[in-house]
Amino acid sequence: MTEKEAFETVVKILTPHTKNPAALASAKLDTNILDDLKVNSARLVDVVLAFEDAFDIEIADEEVDSVNTIGDCVRLILAKAS
Amino acid sequence: MPIASRDRFALLVQREIGRLLGPLWIPAGAAILRWRYGWQIVNASAARREFSRLRRESQAPLLVCANHLTMVDSFLIAIALGSPWWYIRHFSTLPWNTPERENFSRTWWLRLATYVMKCIPVERGGDRREVGRTLERFSYVLRQGDVGLIFPEGGRSRSGRIDPDAATYGVGRVVKSLPGCRVLCIYLRGEGQVGYTDAPARGERFRVLFASLEPKTEHAGMRGSLAITRQILARLTALEANWFDARQ
Repeated sequence: MTEKEAFETVVKILTPHTKNPAALASAKLDTNILDDLKVNSARLVDVVLAFEDAFDIEIADEEVDSVNTIGDCVRLILAKAS
Repeated sequence: MPIASRDRFALLVQREIGRLLGPLWIPAGAAILRWRYGWQIVNASAARREFSRLRRESQAPLLVCANHLTMVDSFLIAIALGSPWWYIRHFSTLPWNTPERENFSRTWWLRLATYVMKCIPVERGGDRREVGRTLERFSYVLRQGDVGLIFPEGGRSRSGRIDPDAATYGVGRVVKSLPGCRVLCIYLRGEGQVGYTDAPARGERFRVLFASLEPKTEHAGMRGSLAITRQILARLTALEANWFDARQ
């Protein structure tokens, strides 16, 4: 899986959870999920579970603590998938 | 994950200051709730017996999980589970809790009060690492034998009822990190409480229902944490149904 493929899937998963579609449309790796996309922190769990299902990986609670940006998600997913 | 030694020391100092000042602030707090605001829990004795039994029967960690309708719920739940005198003698049974930092950091006296009242403030929606560190510190005090209180919905219920969709994974993460952790579910509600408010009405009478469980899951990671949170919320939802059935 390439970084681009992972990025596109992450953006797709985030789409129903974002309250700022404009920021999502111009999303980059350094886009902050909570601050820029305005995803409700309580719903972060749904996002992570969707990552697990989409990429067939398992993400530990502690690993979620280091996820702030889309780039953090992509790097975590690529590391897990490899 | 182990917490830093400076965090352990800070929690120890906080606990000891709270304990030493306990004979002052615990009865004073209870008196204010009872006599200044007239709040009264009319059936606390059964919940107190169950809480005492759970503490006696095992040294496994004990977490109290409750519904959340007002900003003073943690005080009311503490009163529902034990008398001031009992908490002074058994300070470890007075629950730690994790209030929203913004709500209790406005004045120096609020910050002081939350410090001695065994609070570990959390910034909801804040930096994930900081939230994770708060949960680790909270788990640590439970591992040391103290009781914790957490609201699985993450905030006051906007609908006035338990919202299973509001399940946050934090409570499940705490339970999962503590092998054998038992959960005492508490449903506490004022007879006149309709929706969520900052404080209950003056003179409000509360009734409390409870159930204990030991949540289990076969899942790891966040999926496991969420599964545990949902088990707890399901139990709270059942208690809520009983609470309203009893009122009809």
